[in-house]
Amino acid sequence: MTAAGAAAMGSTVSEGARALWILVLVLGGAALSLVTLDAVPAWMHGVPRGVRPAASVAEAERRLQAKVLLPAYFPDTLRWPPSTVRFARDDGGSVALFFLGADGAPALFLAQTAGGEGTLPAALLGRLAVIQQQSAPLGAGSVLSRVVAEDGTLWNQLEWNAGGRHFLLRGRGSLEDLIRMARSIHGGVR
Amino acid sequence: MTGQRWMDFAGQAIFHTLVAALVIEALVRLWGVREPQQRMGFRLLALAWPLLVVPALFLVFPVREGEAFRDARSIFAGRHWDDLAFLGAGLYGWWIAGMAVMGLALFLMDLVPWLRARSVEPPPWLARTPGGARAEEALSGAAASLGMAPPPLVFLREGQPVLYCTGTRHPAVVISSAAVDLLDPAELEGALAHELAHLERRDPTLSWALMGARALMWFNPAVQVLVRALARDAERVADERAASATGDRLALASGLLKLFRATERRFPARSAQPFPLSASLAEPIARARAHDIEQRCRALLAPAPGPVPLARLRFAAAAAGLGLLLFFVV
Repeated sequence: MTAAGAAAMGSTVSEGARALWILVLVLGGAALSLVTLDAVPAWMHGVPRGVRPAASVAEAERRLQAKVLLPAYFPDTLRWPPSTVRFARDDGGSVALFFLGADGAPALFLAQTAGGEGTLPAALLGRLAVIQQQSAPLGAGSVLSRVVAEDGTLWNQLEWNAGGRHFLLRGRGSLEDLIRMARSIHGGVR
Repeated sequence: MTGQRWMDFAGQAIFHTLVAALVIEALVRLWGVREPQQRMGFRLLALAWPLLVVPALFLVFPVREGEAFRDARSIFAGRHWDDLAFLGAGLYGWWIAGMAVMGLALFLMDLVPWLRARSVEPPPWLARTPGGARAEEALSGAAASLGMAPPPLVFLREGQPVLYCTGTRHPAVVISSAAVDLLDPAELEGALAHELAHLERRDPTLSWALMGARALMWFNPAVQVLVRALARDAERVADERAASATGDRLALASGLLKLFRATERRFPARSAQPFPLSASLAEPIARARAHDIEQRCRALLAPAPGPVPLARLRFAAAAAGLGLLLFFVV
């Protein structure tokens, strides 16, 4: 190859590399803009990306193609239906239900995987500090915790596996009610 | 398809066109693609998206329409905006409705004047008359410089300056005596070479195809804008072809400017009002037309733009990259 040919080849290669770099930059910028745009509705709902709101338990079941297990025992200090229903599709899917108490304040939180005993996504659970942990009377591996929410309120939290699912029940009321509710979840605890 | 699926199709067609058009415009500018033919090729890629790629994605990958794909795999899902409601309807639905209204308005802005022009009797000065030896001579010269047989010439005596090409199966060039009188011989040959370049490229057929695409995608404002950009590209391509064939860029620019000034007087900004918004739109449309002519003249006053190297590779890479990106946009 002549010197002129080699120079032309080098120029073509450098031009090609520059074109490719620009393409990657433009497509990367477009992808970033799209991801940001997609995150806006979740951000406006105050939930992380990947967590989606549902209008009702039925809608969450339809969108996850899975049954949501509910407690048969539901004290009348709580309001039905859940004030907020959210779900995530990570790791086979999971759903979270938020219930208000009779006083209108948040009183109960129930989360469960839609299939499999995997972990519940942190984005669905919110940030809480665990201050005390011990085994719970809900079978092997079940855990009873005392947790502090971001607003400083203290909650009791139960976590257990049953029926091929992982459950988390968190309440502000009595621990007895919480355990009774956990045991009444159909298919949850025998 | 269900109503919901049609809505998803319309939403994706609009959104994909917007993203593809913006990405293509960014690439055209950053890659320095100035040659009109190459620009047109890249813009046709963006136009192919709603017409070919989106329907193909719906047919071949129905899994993309599932909620699992939307929530866990996509990088953008329009339906996520339905989580935000306004007046009882999701924002995504409102966005599609707004875009459809805008698309229809842009389509009608061109369709209504075109239909009106077809429905009225041609004015007396548009009657064919014999003569036009000078025009015939200039047409033969222009055709020879382009290496093609001269098409029939429709010569219109007197009247306003008129010069255009027409016909898909029976192409012809239409010119009025006023246009012949207005232009000097070099300008006339350049202007006729421009029209012949359109015929050589079968642009009248292309313009029908583009109008068909606009009608199919009436709800898609990005398509309406893109087709207008393609029409401007077609003018630039014909300019460059005519300039290279006649070898006189300045004469073509000068002829273009003279014809524009003469026809500008014939179509004052506020005269035609094909539909209610026309009056308010006439001024910006007239300004846009003047801007187009200015750009074309500027391009003709500069040396002919050279093609960008590795054009095919760039095109293939842009198509592949867009395909990969937009597969995950539902």
